[in-house]
Amino acid sequence: MTHARPHTNHDVSKDLIASVDLIAPGGEGIFPVKPELSFVAKDIIFGEGPVWDKRNKVLNFVDICGDNIWRWKPGSEAEEILNPSDHANGMTLDKEGRLVVCGWGGRTMFRFEKDGTLKTLATHFEGKKLNSPNDVVVKSDGTIYFTDPPGGLFNVGHIGMDSQRYQEVQPVFRMSPDGKELKIVTTDFVYPNGLCFSPDEKILYINCSRERVIRAYDVQPDGSVKNGRVFYQYTQPEHGNPDGIKCDVDGRVWCTGPGGIVVHNPNGDLVARLRMHGHATNFCFGGDDWKTLFITMVGSVTQMRVNVAGVASW
Amino acid sequence: MTMNFEKIAGPYQGLTGGVTWDGTHVLFSAVKEERILRFNPKTGATDNFRRWTGRTNGIAIGKDGATYGAQEGGRRVIQFMADGSTAPTAEMIDGWHHNQPTDLTVDSKGRVWFADSRSDTLPYGPAIFPFMEINAVMRLERDERRSWKVVRVTSDTKAPRAVVLSADEKTLYVADGDSTKNDACTLRAYSVNAEGSVGPARVLHTFALGERGFEGLCLDSGGNIVACGGSKQKGVGPQVVVFAPSGAVIESHAAPDLPMRCAFGDEGLGSLYLTSGDGNLYRAKNTGHSGLKR
Repeated sequence: MTHARPHTNHDVSKDLIASVDLIAPGGEGIFPVKPELSFVAKDIIFGEGPVWDKRNKVLNFVDICGDNIWRWKPGSEAEEILNPSDHANGMTLDKEGRLVVCGWGGRTMFRFEKDGTLKTLATHFEGKKLNSPNDVVVKSDGTIYFTDPPGGLFNVGHIGMDSQRYQEVQPVFRMSPDGKELKIVTTDFVYPNGLCFSPDEKILYINCSRERVIRAYDVQPDGSVKNGRVFYQYTQPEHGNPDGIKCDVDGRVWCTGPGGIVVHNPNGDLVARLRMHGHATNFCFGGDDWKTLFITMVGSVTQMRVNVAGVASW
Repeated sequence: MTMNFEKIAGPYQGLTGGVTWDGTHVLFSAVKEERILRFNPKTGATDNFRRWTGRTNGIAIGKDGATYGAQEGGRRVIQFMADGSTAPTAEMIDGWHHNQPTDLTVDSKGRVWFADSRSDTLPYGPAIFPFMEINAVMRLERDERRSWKVVRVTSDTKAPRAVVLSADEKTLYVADGDSTKNDACTLRAYSVNAEGSVGPARVLHTFALGERGFEGLCLDSGGNIVACGGSKQKGVGPQVVVFAPSGAVIESHAAPDLPMRCAFGDEGLGSLYLTSGDGNLYRAKNTGHSGLKR
């Protein structure tokens, strides 16, 4: 279904307001003293799914409510590459450089093939439709890990043509590199959202927007996980829940959280926070040195330089 | 004739809301539990009609069996399809997302009239989309390509809570007003023009300022309006009132506190089912009325 562009109550002029308001031991120098944000795109209702494509030197991102996927080359205007998009949400690249997409409202996982066609990767689990795939990461062996909370079945402006939930649980899934097997990684989450690997892929971090927690799991050689534990439990009063999550090359865990984007040491300690006026939904590292932080927000997409490099996307 | 309400199901978490008779069962919403339940009057058993309803309140069934829900949490009207899926309808008017559809009724043409008022129910997702200033009665109808479109019906309502059409569909009754905002709640009747617009409201009943108004409406076979509302906190108390189409009060009956919605059911449509703020389903048998059969 196509819609007229909806009215929103967003004031984009405030999206560039940010400061570093927390630095604990171990968090020094991560962010510039004076963070300088600039716009990648302003005419966005609900930005998400940022991923830097090193081959083409472009940023890909989505507008969930706009029901489209965008590509932005620095120095130019963002270009729409898919509309409608299944109200796409999280995206990543696989080792071949193909864009893997969570079809949130459409309840699919799909991929942009090299010839430009779209290939559906998953729609069902055990004969029932997926909930609504939210975010995705691809391991070096090609296994696709994605979260499947139910928000794309209910959120205002997000849903597709069938919003009935069928799955009893809210899993994190993994799909075998050949796409033939879909297995549950964990059902520990009320609302699994962002996920990322540690730089050595030995730990899988998954966050829960509802419980405001990040859990860490030891990744087994077969791709399953064990030893799930609480990595960090947010209790801060500021608005904002865990959503996007990425690691930097030193193993720190960056996550959208209360008040903006927060950074944790590998042991979980919160060591820095970028306090943001706007609502950051997700982010990715990019640029030639992987030190540009691209931040998707409710209402816009922004970028800023940071002093440490993120784990490179494929 | 008295109406003695007997609890027949519940309590559920939060309030019970939308209620309707599907010909053999009563469907009713447990809004906070995000499900619609189904009560079988022959066995007394209750099971799930639909789970994961997204905080659906009002339920209505059209002549062709099409079943709709007013999804307060998603700020939309949804259709519960026979195959178990749930289809969207048009979610916006002029680029504005609906406020929070709460009650609805389906006319003989398959158009869905709904009360679009803000409620205490929390909408899903980040609060990106502002609410409209006007809480209106709206209507969903199909265009020539069978796509849903939305038409605004009322412009003078403060907070429509319940809607029902007369048997000839020439009159729209609306329970209006939010007592928590100190509205003077009213029961209103609008003449419906041939093309679907409405004339000026005729106010059939006005509550005292801040008194909880009617939350649910249905009709009996004689065209009388059965309205439930009120509370123990203020005014005449929780009640079911039967109005003649003129607005004259024919009967009033004490009801469980915080009546939410009402619908006739059972054989001959002689029982009145009632949902409530305490999360139960109630029934009064042998009401002396029979519900309007559409």
